[in-house]
Amino acid sequence: MKEEKTAVLLFREDPRDEPHPEKMAELRGLAESAGYKVLAEIVQRRGRDRRFQLGRGKVAEAASLSPEKLIFQNPLSPGQMFNITKEFEVQAIDRFNLILEIFASRASSREAKLQVELARLSYEAPFVRTIESLKKLSERPGYRGSGSYDVSMYRDIKGRMAKIRAELKAVEETGERRRERRRELGFDLVALAGYTNAGKSTLFNRLAEERVSAKDQPFTTLSPTTRAVAAKERKFLLTDTVGFIDDLPLFLIKAFRSTLAEIVEADLVLLVVDLSDPPDVLRDKLASCHQTLWDCGCYAPIVSVLNKVDRIGPEDAKERSELIRDLAPSPVLISAQEGRGLDGLIDLIAEKLPTMEEFKVLLPSSEEGMGQLSRLYEVAEPIEVTYGEEIEVLLKGRREIVARALKGAERPDQLPLAEG
Amino acid sequence: MDVVAVDISGRHSVGGKYIMVSASVLAKISPEGIERTRRIRLVPLVAESVEMEVVIKLIEDSVRGLPGVVLAEKGDLYNLERWRVESILGREFKYPESLGERRAIELAHHASFAGRKLVLRLMEEGLGVGELKTTTGGA
Repeated sequence: MKEEKTAVLLFREDPRDEPHPEKMAELRGLAESAGYKVLAEIVQRRGRDRRFQLGRGKVAEAASLSPEKLIFQNPLSPGQMFNITKEFEVQAIDRFNLILEIFASRASSREAKLQVELARLSYEAPFVRTIESLKKLSERPGYRGSGSYDVSMYRDIKGRMAKIRAELKAVEETGERRRERRRELGFDLVALAGYTNAGKSTLFNRLAEERVSAKDQPFTTLSPTTRAVAAKERKFLLTDTVGFIDDLPLFLIKAFRSTLAEIVEADLVLLVVDLSDPPDVLRDKLASCHQTLWDCGCYAPIVSVLNKVDRIGPEDAKERSELIRDLAPSPVLISAQEGRGLDGLIDLIAEKLPTMEEFKVLLPSSEEGMGQLSRLYEVAEPIEVTYGEEIEVLLKGRREIVARALKGAERPDQLPLAEG
Repeated sequence: MDVVAVDISGRHSVGGKYIMVSASVLAKISPEGIERTRRIRLVPLVAESVEMEVVIKLIEDSVRGLPGVVLAEKGDLYNLERWRVESILGREFKYPESLGERRAIELAHHASFAGRKLVLRLMEEGLGVGELKTTTGGA
């Protein structure tokens, strides 16, 4: 039988800040999601201890419970990690490391595995350098001494990172071509974004009538999933993406660039928000989503999907939506679990997507003209087709896509699109 | 929402002096972007140091008379808590949270950066530091 992993959670709060109990709750959620049994939670309000992050007594108290790992909410420096492990003989990790552990256990596709490995190496590279040099402080290796080992290990890491980046670049280019092809086929791209465990996958399943894994735990989704959705005379491709989290380090965002590209390149972003969170947590999470969207360079219009209204009363829902008014563009209240408010959401999606215009196009009555008509059928919605000396087509679609479908036509003078 | 986004360029020493330009952008923003830019004001200052009082004074001069919540990057105000900055400035202040607020600050950053380049060019062309010090009006 597999032995259960155990951990003690530690959090040092800055005495100048307001207490943040929700941070410990989030850490507990992450630890449980990674499969740890939490033995105790220790919070201390004090300034940062240079050697152990928290005071020596608190760390000793945590270590006395004999957990497999001590998990710190605060980032640990390589020196602190080294000191804690050496002094208390228990492995110490911080929140970033815990997130990486979760990612590593859930990554299933080749792309996700590479992304996780790149993130882990970016995080570990400076640690390897510092810890190896700390270990060798007393050895003082000379020329051709054992000191050469840490240098080569660091170099190995850097080399592996370069290789992964090259592979991910190829993945990114494939994704770019795929998105371009989807656009050529007349699909609008809609991406689901939001804080982890906000209900993105549940909403995805509702809209796309799919059954992707959706659980009440952080980071259920790592790799993007895309499905076609047809609603209110619009067909669009909906993509479920990895969730955001507060204080996400930039190297992690960079490692997941090819996944986040689905959001950056989308025509519309659905920013899913868990409205059942307490008001201050709700604001913090939403601000953190804006930060991540900013970091990955998102310029697409946003619809704020205020989810989980089934968990709170209508008065609370109204009050909370008012509270986040400055952070929630185009808000719509829904419950993805119960399917409430989805019609309003679909209306809003149709309204926010690039507009469909009506065009009248004249095509030559030839084999080539028929070919063009067939392409138009693929990318737009023909309303009426009249066959005569010329083929007259009345259609509805996006201007640039219709123009692309008619590129290289036999009689360019006929082609400028006349709006109907 | 009307905001006054502030950004200061030139907080590094050039020949022992700090040639700074503060840009204030009065804009109407939505959560996801800037809806309307109402006014941009540039205030140059040549100072001996970038101590907090100098920076705060420059920001005060820069936002004076422009209505709206003042926005600035945390680093520009030495990571001071929001309530502390509000009590020093004596008006509503916040650090950027939404995309719209960040875009307003980005615009202020471009303006202050361009303004400083202009100041440096003017100085190269013969406008003295003394003349700049007295130039504190809005542009």
